[in-house]
Amino acid sequence: MLRITNLVKSYGSNQPVLKGLDLEVPGESMVAIIGASGAGKSTLLRCINRLVEPTSGKVELNGVTLTALKGRELRLARRRIGMIFQSFNLVDRLTVMENVQSGRLGYLSTWRAALRRYPKADIRRAFELMERVGIAHYANRRADELSGGERQRVGVVRALMQEPQILLADEPTASLDPKTSEQIMELLRSLSSEMALPVLINIHNVGEAKAYTDRIVGMRYGRIIFDGAPGDLDDVAMDEIYAGVPAEERGLPDGAPALAGQAS
Amino acid sequence: MSDVPETWRKPPFIANPVLRYGLAVIVLGYMAWSLGTLPLDWNRIAEGMTRAGRIFSGAFPPSFARSELLIEGFLESLKIAVIATAAGILLSIPIALTAARNLAPVPVYVIGRGIIIVARSFHPVIVAIIFVKAVGFGALAGILTLVVYSVGFVAKMLAERIEEIDHGQIEAMRAAGANYLQTLIYAVFPQIMPRQIGLTIYQLDSNLRASAVVGIVGAGGIGSTLANAFGRYDYDFALAIVMVIIGAILISEAISGHVRRRIW
Amino acid sequence: MVSLDTRPEEWARFTPRQRLQRFAIFLATVAALAWSLGSIDIVWAWVFDAPQQMGDLFGRMVPPDITNIGTILRVLVETVNIATIATAIAVVLSLPIAYIAAQNTTPNRATLWLARLILVSSRSVNTIIWALLFVAIFGPGVMAGIVAITFRSLGFIGKLLGEAIEEIDRRPVEALTATGASRFKVILYAIVPQVMPTFWAVSILRWDINLRESTVLGLVGAGGIGIILQGAIDTFNWREAATVLLAILALVILGELVSAWVRRRII
Repeated sequence: MLRITNLVKSYGSNQPVLKGLDLEVPGESMVAIIGASGAGKSTLLRCINRLVEPTSGKVELNGVTLTALKGRELRLARRRIGMIFQSFNLVDRLTVMENVQSGRLGYLSTWRAALRRYPKADIRRAFELMERVGIAHYANRRADELSGGERQRVGVVRALMQEPQILLADEPTASLDPKTSEQIMELLRSLSSEMALPVLINIHNVGEAKAYTDRIVGMRYGRIIFDGAPGDLDDVAMDEIYAGVPAEERGLPDGAPALAGQAS
Repeated sequence: MSDVPETWRKPPFIANPVLRYGLAVIVLGYMAWSLGTLPLDWNRIAEGMTRAGRIFSGAFPPSFARSELLIEGFLESLKIAVIATAAGILLSIPIALTAARNLAPVPVYVIGRGIIIVARSFHPVIVAIIFVKAVGFGALAGILTLVVYSVGFVAKMLAERIEEIDHGQIEAMRAAGANYLQTLIYAVFPQIMPRQIGLTIYQLDSNLRASAVVGIVGAGGIGSTLANAFGRYDYDFALAIVMVIIGAILISEAISGHVRRRIW
Repeated sequence: MVSLDTRPEEWARFTPRQRLQRFAIFLATVAALAWSLGSIDIVWAWVFDAPQQMGDLFGRMVPPDITNIGTILRVLVETVNIATIATAIAVVLSLPIAYIAAQNTTPNRATLWLARLILVSSRSVNTIIWALLFVAIFGPGVMAGIVAITFRSLGFIGKLLGEAIEEIDRRPVEALTATGASRFKVILYAIVPQVMPTFWAVSILRWDINLRESTVLGLVGAGGIGIILQGAIDTFNWREAATVLLAILALVILGELVSAWVRRRII
């Protein structure tokens, strides 16, 4: 269970990017966060594992107050939070296996990591996961030899190798073509239910969000203004979340009904 | 679950194990052998620490008492650098033209490349010694040395640039009936000018550094001043000279970098 | 509608202002040259004599005297060893310095400035000057030479490596930090692989340059084949000097071929 209480993030004396957010994500759910650019989605995600330092507020994961941790404790806690990225963020020159095993760096001793002498259990687990997502035959290839969709799968396996308690996904499909995009979303959904893993996804394709997630959280200007089931996300709600954003940029799939008052 | 591998090794850079281990053995063996055969006088080296202490205490604070000598030496180095750069650049252009495969017939090309290789292979200090023996101590030897130094670098860079030029422009000029010189002026020079100017500025900077050094073997400039100071154990004056040299190099490098960026 | 009678009869490539700029630069260059030529301490008679003197000297070098070729080759190998060992030491030492000299990896501003200071002083003081210093400290011999080359190479390698570290893609660094890996492991997996190609290229390049530098160490007493060369020159044994020069030429060319080959295989 992830619990965020009154999270605030401001840069200097400017308007805060996050204005006192409250959010609860119980286990085993797939939650999508939608909103216009600049609404604070990325910042929210990064405040959870403190890649960005919150200005104030509390983030708790399964009883551990992440915002109170320092140094080594923070690192230990981060091991249980998996993250996948829009640009995949792999180490291009290393093999797929090394990239995948780098998810275990929080658990591995330094010399094993340096010499690439991974424990048997880790290797077995890596191959199992890679087969599950369909990239086992790429184990010895360099990461930059793979296609976009394949690279994101490597990212997913890397995150899963951490044995995480929660998975954060920052626009995981933004760099992928529509078909691959759906494959990845489907993968995330099935993994989420197989492993009873809560998944928090930043996404700007509202169609995908509706199709693959159980709950949608809409942000605007650093606040959560919508929180409900995909079916409840009607045009009124969409307008509020994306107000001021022209219809073409709202990430709706082709053929979506025209919004009230908008020309088709 | 199907049978997954339990072990994994990163594919080694050198596939052949004989080659791999053989290479490691050779490298280690070489290290041991070379360290063993080098004539090291350990007693003398041990004394080095006390001597170093004596030298450094003698060197602080740096003495600018004989600053006229310093300034005179520095100015001479500057003049040597200016003249050598001008002469060197002028010489480099025809040499580069003979050393460009696309412009010169093969025997000429071989000679041109040969000149460049010989000019580059000898350290300027060696060239300086030879010139000193030939034309005597002083600035003349320094200028000649740096001309050779400049040609070795500038002619090589220019020749490479010439080999990369767009051949179409040469063809067009020849088709229009231009003779060799006219073709050069209209088709070749415009393409190499930017690189030429950048090289000139870079070489001026290089020559300033080098002129400080060739002076040590008697080719004039501040290097001679430095060698004298060392020879007379005037370590505080020597430190002052070195500081001036470093300062001049830093300023020259900054100006050179700045100007080259402006014209690019 | 432009009348055909108004064809321009003049054309100039540069605007008047540009022409002024170009002329000013030209003038400055000529002035600098004139000042240098005018005030430099040269006996102009000697300048015109120079080609003949060179020819004379060259004549005394031919044919090269190879009676001591055994010693020459032995010391040549020693020179290679000096260059190689010194480069190896410098490469290892420059790793932590480069790490601290890169803005994205340095712990704090103080360490950044310290590292930059070390690199700048190392680069600005020529190998020969370092050699002079170390001959005074350690006495004549190869120790002074090795340390001199090491000191100079530190700045060269450290600067280029530091720049390579600053230019890495930071995204894998972010990703691996998020997995809870320690700083060291993040460096190992996210930074090191990215700078490897530059690392090898720079090391090999510096070795090639050091090969050249080590040939002259002996001229200030810091070991290597320079000693033999100096000896031959001092005793006016020009024919032996010619042999040494040819040996150096061969060494340098060989070194360039080897480094080009290695660079192609590794990168």
